Amino acid sequence: MTGKSSTERRATDALNTSMTQVFEAAGAEFIEPDIIQPADVFLERSGEHIRSRTYVFADPSGAQLCLRPDLTVPACRYHLEQDHDVTAAARYCYAGKAFRHSKKAGDTSLREFDQVGLELFGGDNAAADDAEALALTLAALDAAGVSGYSIQLGDLGLFAALLASIDMPERWRTNLRRQFWRPRAFRELLNRLTGKTAKPRTSISDLLDEMADSPLDAVAFVEHRLEADGLEMIAGRSIEQVAGRLSEKLMDRSEPHLSETHAKLIDDYLGIRCALPLAVAELRELGARTNGEFASAVDLFEARVEAIQKAGLEGGEMEFAAVFGRSLEYYTGFVFQIDRRLADGADETIAGGGRYDTMLKDIGAGTMIPAVGCAIYASRLVPVSEAPA
Amino acid sequence: MSNLTLALPSKGRLREQAEAMFARAGFDIVRIGSARGYRGEVKGLDGVDVAFLSASEIAQALRDGTVDLGVTGEDLLRETIAPDEPIVDVVLRLGFGPADVVIAVPESWLDVAFVSDLDQVAAEFYDSHGRRLRVATKYLALTRRFFADNGVTGYRIVESLGATEGAPASGSAEIIVDITTTGSTLKANRLKILDDGLILRSEAVLAARCETRSRPVVQNLKNRLELAI
Repeated sequence: MTGKSSTERRATDALNTSMTQVFEAAGAEFIEPDIIQPADVFLERSGEHIRSRTYVFADPSGAQLCLRPDLTVPACRYHLEQDHDVTAAARYCYAGKAFRHSKKAGDTSLREFDQVGLELFGGDNAAADDAEALALTLAALDAAGVSGYSIQLGDLGLFAALLASIDMPERWRTNLRRQFWRPRAFRELLNRLTGKTAKPRTSISDLLDEMADSPLDAVAFVEHRLEADGLEMIAGRSIEQVAGRLSEKLMDRSEPHLSETHAKLIDDYLGIRCALPLAVAELRELGARTNGEFASAVDLFEARVEAIQKAGLEGGEMEFAAVFGRSLEYYTGFVFQIDRRLADGADETIAGGGRYDTMLKDIGAGTMIPAVGCAIYASRLVPVSEAPA
Repeated sequence: MSNLTLALPSKGRLREQAEAMFARAGFDIVRIGSARGYRGEVKGLDGVDVAFLSASEIAQALRDGTVDLGVTGEDLLRETIAPDEPIVDVVLRLGFGPADVVIAVPESWLDVAFVSDLDQVAAEFYDSHGRRLRVATKYLALTRRFFADNGVTGYRIVESLGATEGAPASGSAEIIVDITTTGSTLKANRLKILDDGLILRSEAVLAARCETRSRPVVQNLKNRLELAI
């Protein structure tokens, strides 16, 4: 395909407008973020792996630019560059093209696609905003004439709260949270923490043996060692940081293992998958086996479920899964995804969204600004009968 | 059937070793025109034209389909064409030009032994500097693929076109991904290879575009070269 015909273009415009009108009616300002964005914001925020999916190029001065791979970050940048109090509540919607390389060679189906979305910044009632973002997404799909989809929900805040309520060194929590995205590595880490698999000797095991026997404190030990080997601390790290991580490795050797009970608690949590209205009871039951901190995260979860129901959504057709969100790295709390069954039986994601409270701060807001939003893959909503053969 | 084009390295040790192996297999490589010409033929192998290209151009030419066969380093081949892309097959590993593509970090990072350490150090680095850990390399694709497979996300690649091993000391990057044969250059620059930092064990290979793989002349070349390894 080399472009849209007049009829196709009109159909696309009408479809997109039907959805943005829903967002505008809810008080969102209809903006058009820049298509060409500084690549740094995306690369620094999401890391190098986003580059393999993004059209990155240099302008004649050598500045690294990119075609926006989605519209959330451009909308965040738009918000931060306006002359206003960036922490005050603001709502934006948009409809425009996003650009991505396909992972499969030769597949150009995603090269440019329409994304329609909504972002709610600076709200002070997380549960209500989460529910509204979801309700507006469904209302927009309704306006576009889309039905027959399934809804999956998750909450990344619950997992962090569960770890916080289990007694273990903070560094283990950090590592478990980081590996949450990678099921295989997560399992390996959990098995090591419970002592199910032994830690192998490594190229720094001898050094740790020496450190354990040394009368010097960690920093002095590292200083002494570097001097003896004629090494300088380079590449942006400090002796304290290196000494700190070595001390942690040494502590891990004598730390009592994570108990089987606690490992089971984590496994049981990750196994929760049920209709949304049943999730609160399941989480409460699990919470009874923890020491409390988890309960306040369940409170927020319950408030959100109530807000979703208050928005007129019954919730019975929505599924909650504790592991849902594992592949969505920038979200911090509530997450949702809407899929539609295709004629060939495969599922296709038509919309997704969630809470990303650290994004605005990370890209320069200077302070934490709550944010929740959604993105609808409008190009996938073109009715099957009208899609080009 | 039209002639196949075989790309051979035009310079350096790879050229010498490739030509020596072809000679052992009974194939004389003849340049057409002047001795420095860029086209040639293989005496004793009908139906094959030779193009002399630099090793990195050979990988790209295989990808583009401007040549059908090529002798080049596996590192360059895999940098240009991912293993799961159905474009090119490795027909034969040739046993010369060994080189490991590895991740190396400053020796003074006493606490770092594994790729998983790197992921944590990358997070620590972002917290203390507000920017990503930089990896100097000429292997952009290999690095991205390996780090993605191993769950390291918080880094940036700085493209390096030479003397990569000097980047951590000069301050243009924190760590490197580079080739090494004996490890002595890394050692001299006070860098160490991570315990699980072997990205690719590379050597010279004979590679063919998938659609030419089953041509008799390719099989013939493979069989004769195999005896010369």
